Amino acid sequence: MILSFLENPILANSSLKADFKTGDPGITSINSMTFGPEGILFIGDSKSAQIVAIDLSTHPKVDNSAVKIDFLDKLIADMLGSAIDQIQITDMVVNPENNNIYLSVHHSSGNVILFRVEHNTLKKVSLDNISHTKTSLIDPVNKEAKDKRGRKLRKWAVADIKYTSGKVLLSGLSNKEFASTFRSVDFPFTDKQDYGSLEIYHAAHGQYETHAPIKAFIPTKIKGSSHIIAGYTCTPLVIFPMNNIKPGEHNKGRTVAELGSGNSPVDMVEIKNGGQRYLLIANNNRPLMKMEFTDLESYNGSLTTPVVKKGAAEGVSYVNLPYVNVQQLDKFGGTGFLIVQRESSGNLTLKKGNSWWLEK
Amino acid sequence: MAREIIAPIRFILLVSKVKNPILFVLIIFFTVLEIYSQTSPEFTFNKEYITVKKDVKTSGNLYIYRGEISKDELSNVNPVLGKLIEEKTSLRFTPLIPFGWNQKYTLVYGDTVEYFSLDIPEEYKYLSVTSIYPSAKTLPSNLLKWYIHFSHPINETHIYDYIRFVNATGDTLPRAALSLENALISDHGKLLTVWIEPGRQKRDLIPNRQLGPVFKNENAYKLVVLKKLKDKNGISMQDNFTHSFQITNDDRVKLDVNLWKIQSPKVNSKSHVLISCHESLDYGSTQNSVIVVNVKGEKIDGNWQLINHESTLSFTPLYPWKKGSYNVLFDNHIEDLAGNNLDRLFDSEITDTISHHLPKTHKIKFSIK
Repeated sequence: MILSFLENPILANSSLKADFKTGDPGITSINSMTFGPEGILFIGDSKSAQIVAIDLSTHPKVDNSAVKIDFLDKLIADMLGSAIDQIQITDMVVNPENNNIYLSVHHSSGNVILFRVEHNTLKKVSLDNISHTKTSLIDPVNKEAKDKRGRKLRKWAVADIKYTSGKVLLSGLSNKEFASTFRSVDFPFTDKQDYGSLEIYHAAHGQYETHAPIKAFIPTKIKGSSHIIAGYTCTPLVIFPMNNIKPGEHNKGRTVAELGSGNSPVDMVEIKNGGQRYLLIANNNRPLMKMEFTDLESYNGSLTTPVVKKGAAEGVSYVNLPYVNVQQLDKFGGTGFLIVQRESSGNLTLKKGNSWWLEK
Repeated sequence: MAREIIAPIRFILLVSKVKNPILFVLIIFFTVLEIYSQTSPEFTFNKEYITVKKDVKTSGNLYIYRGEISKDELSNVNPVLGKLIEEKTSLRFTPLIPFGWNQKYTLVYGDTVEYFSLDIPEEYKYLSVTSIYPSAKTLPSNLLKWYIHFSHPINETHIYDYIRFVNATGDTLPRAALSLENALISDHGKLLTVWIEPGRQKRDLIPNRQLGPVFKNENAYKLVVLKKLKDKNGISMQDNFTHSFQITNDDRVKLDVNLWKIQSPKVNSKSHVLISCHESLDYGSTQNSVIVVNVKGEKIDGNWQLINHESTLSFTPLYPWKKGSYNVLFDNHIEDLAGNNLDRLFDSEITDTISHHLPKTHKIKFSIK
């Protein structure tokens, strides 16, 4: 009895982290991050063409109940000793198990830094000696093409990464074709990788087919079954049933909304509050949007007629929240959300969103 | 590369506005005492680290700050991240990111505050654009991609903010390029891919309906790379890079290798195989996408080049040609400048979509007698 009690947690731990080794995963870029279970952080690393899973479960819980960092870009520039235009915050994620906040930063020199927010300042997370496992992102079209001098010419930039029940999902864009390559990789990692492309009938016309890339997406449940909600550049919002996504095939989705032209989604999260599910979408050229899942689920149509009004949104209705220029977005504390926002004063701030907006 | 500089010894006198003359004399007295009792902090620095001679009387740590920060402001600023190693007679601070050229820093050691910066070396090779594709001066209005090749690896952060398209009157075109968060950069940080906003180039998408295509027929434009663009060391270019081009009719014809002309080489020579494509091909999708095979299907070693403004494919074999039949095989993803490839148009009618068809093999046969 005592023995089995002792064994159980070890077994539970080993199922996902059995292949983890401590060392340097050789991360050279962090384009997108997402937390999986047990404090595992998945990193989409385009430059090294790999997905790295690192174990952050040993990080102690930080009290982020009063989190707010003003002049975040200046703080990072000060800590790296460089001008602000030499740094870029590439992603922000919150560990759902303890609300620890992580920011990934690229520096012009090619250095990549992962920070943890601690008492409203930043602490560097060492990535060169960390418990991890990884897998390569293999070119789905050609074997890694190299030119005559041996340089890799193909470039696949990870746009978004998400984890759902034993699978890491990635969307991205290559410099060769304008296509929405979508990958699904089993976790724990195996040699198997599935590629597909998710295509859409654009709401604007219904006459032409587009091969736009997915900018942000989430795996979710629609009417109880697994789906992907994907936001494309120039903003159709499209849903794909998960079991319809077949490797190596073009998969056609249903366009449920148009979020306005001249706009591109940045991040997407699903938040449950008071028995309701909400979809929050941060955009590069529109305010933070809130959509209710009940509306999304009851909308059975697919937009096929042109949007007439300039910049108008169509399909499932949504509400613009009073947060403009939101550059990063993640769930925070179960029912809330955390943003990195460029305020009208120019201040780049990391702060909590008001969860009042997510109440009925 | 790293130049060591011995910094002059300076003391920072913080004499505030003192109205009381007795207090003023006292401050001067103690300051002079302090000057004579203090060991001057000699320090040397280069791009990788800074070393300071240890002062036995100073218990405080060594900190480096970005910019010239006065003593009063130090508490509001976070120090630069790095490793501090205590050696026998000195302290060595290695910043996480090497010190930048022309970037001012503040050194704080105990009560001492010093400023330093590294000058850009005289022999520094500044960033420049070495080539650009498409290189033709006349381009279709539904042009989809540009490739900009730089002399050195570039600062990838917010890179698309530095690329502009300017019309003949000098106005910058709004929303011309796709501003990707994660830049498409390959070839060791030197080749940047720029997508012309596909939503505007593709007919009937909302941006296309509202704003029209990015480029208008018979108009002249310039692609400008702003000189503020930095290399990976944080040093900007010295001048703007400007490339002029003229726009002509859109290209809505699928590529067809059967219309391309091939010039066969001579036997026992290393002469080129030239394939004239009658239009410029897309630089990126053409790289590594063409091979020559013999009748046995064996690949012939050699080098491919895109010449004549990327409208001619030239193959030079490594070994002299032998008699026989050969095939040039083309990857179906090779595109023209408007994103039309060998299998499909970029902008095709749904009823005409080829997604359900099996991809064809695209090849040209030639023989050497």
